[in-house]
Amino acid sequence: MTSLLRWVLIVMAWLFAALLYRPSQFSRARFGADELAINAGAASPVFKKTAVNAGQALPMVHVASLATLPAGIEAVVWYGGSKECAPDVKIYFSESEHGGGWSSPRVIMSRELAEHDLQRPLQGLGNAVLLSGSDGSLRLLFTTIAMGRWSGSQLNTCLSKDGGITWSPARRLTLSPFFNLSDLVRNRAISLAGGGWCVPIYQEFLGKFPELLWLKESKGQLEYCKSRIAGGCSTFQPSLVPLDDARALAFLRDYTDNRKVFLSRSDDGGCSWSKPVASQLPNPDAGISGLKLSDGKLLLSYNDSSECRDNLALALSRDEGKTWEKLTMLEQESGSSFSYPFLIRTEDGLINLAYTYKGTGIALTEFNEAWVADTLSSLSRSKVMVPQP
Amino acid sequence: MTMSAETLHQLYAAMAPWLAVSLLLLGRNPFLSRVRMVGSLTLSFFLLCFPVEEWSMFSWIRMVEPNPSFTLTGLLGVLLYERLSGKKIFRPEDWNAAWLVGTLAALILYPMGLGLTHIDPYAWGWNSILPLAIAAAATSLLLKANRFGIILILSLVGSLLHLQESTNFWDTLIDPIYGAVSLVAVMILVVARLRRRA
Repeated sequence: MTSLLRWVLIVMAWLFAALLYRPSQFSRARFGADELAINAGAASPVFKKTAVNAGQALPMVHVASLATLPAGIEAVVWYGGSKECAPDVKIYFSESEHGGGWSSPRVIMSRELAEHDLQRPLQGLGNAVLLSGSDGSLRLLFTTIAMGRWSGSQLNTCLSKDGGITWSPARRLTLSPFFNLSDLVRNRAISLAGGGWCVPIYQEFLGKFPELLWLKESKGQLEYCKSRIAGGCSTFQPSLVPLDDARALAFLRDYTDNRKVFLSRSDDGGCSWSKPVASQLPNPDAGISGLKLSDGKLLLSYNDSSECRDNLALALSRDEGKTWEKLTMLEQESGSSFSYPFLIRTEDGLINLAYTYKGTGIALTEFNEAWVADTLSSLSRSKVMVPQP
Repeated sequence: MTMSAETLHQLYAAMAPWLAVSLLLLGRNPFLSRVRMVGSLTLSFFLLCFPVEEWSMFSWIRMVEPNPSFTLTGLLGVLLYERLSGKKIFRPEDWNAAWLVGTLAALILYPMGLGLTHIDPYAWGWNSILPLAIAAAATSLLLKANRFGIILILSLVGSLLHLQESTNFWDTLIDPIYGAVSLVAVMILVVARLRRRA
């Protein structure tokens, strides 16, 4: 190699590295105003339970996710099929109808369609989450399984600009260095000031740990990166609740013998997180979902058991997660399963809670803050102290 | 006619398997006829196009490893060129540099990237520091006339051209196959050196 060639190559290396320079879209992220300006809703208590997929006779449905469409329509996605990770699992979509009730479930993603779009064989589909854009678009984040079970999964995305009727071809997101294994999505995404999303995701490969996916559309291109809440094999499936534009809480599902809901805090827009600390709320290694109320209280939907998912409860915190009061038991039936709650607030201030009902149904409970206040005043409270993370 | 990003990613991801299978078919015979060379390259292509359960072998390999690194593809390219031309273009020190960089990258990336700590080095691949570090490593190697420096520049070029499905710079530099081969090669080098000392 001649000296001249070496120097030409060195100059090229630095030129290419300089051309690859791009300022991070997410380094100074702040949570969006629409997450923080909360509409408390009607003054009179509202509480209603409905079945989203009534009449859908599938052996298994699971992991519901909600999003608000323009004109106040609610959309739900979930997956269903013969069993988890089976090749016949499809992702279903339903939306609220003006007269009440839900539209018939419609398949928006199947294994065959994902295989066609991604141009590779797949074993099945899994968890999906909907992101509702300020321009009326809907982005679907969904899990595909390449091999095995959840440890062999990857995340993908597609976009709808007509309220979920048609979808763009799916695109694979590369989020892990080891054969892109294995990232999953489960909980509500948080919008960012200036556009974009902070999506709670998690890994289930050698470790189980919570992460954040940062997404933004820029000049027609989807830009993304991820950051970590915690490592190890202890906590995962984060549920993110912004406290203000910079501070946030992450509620974490427990994979340890503690069997407690864990909490982690961020003071810098989700860039760095405190070490997760166990609360005294029980967790039977099951999904949880949190939401901030208009008066600053925090609402958490969880299984109030350290062993099984045979109930679904609500708890309330007045001090940003330090202490909790059990609010009410929404479901309870021995031997049954009520799991994977997903909390969201609608434009009119209603709180919607979707969850898996006995493994074969997607249930939706609608209530408002007036009902929460009513319930709180009428129930005997059990205060639980939680160490400060 | 423009090529879609998805097609470009598929074509790039097919290169490393094609190079690897071609090398296997060429075998170790030092006297290769032109027919054997062309035949091996063609046969490896058709073998990888062969459908298994409706999908080509290329697609099955892409299901497992959608982002072969440019380093791995470059090194396989070097091996194939050497095999076809009979000329050595990589000296032992060039290969040693390849295995050392692969080992170092694998040890930094995989344990922490897969959750050993709360630090995630994989996230560094989305900011601009890593390409600068690779430019510095390539400079250092090229100043010593080490030809592996040229392969490192390939990772910068590949990233600029968006040839991979991944947008993370780590994936241009290392993949689990290159990482594993590097670790084994470095262990063999270390054992050989220890034996020589003994």
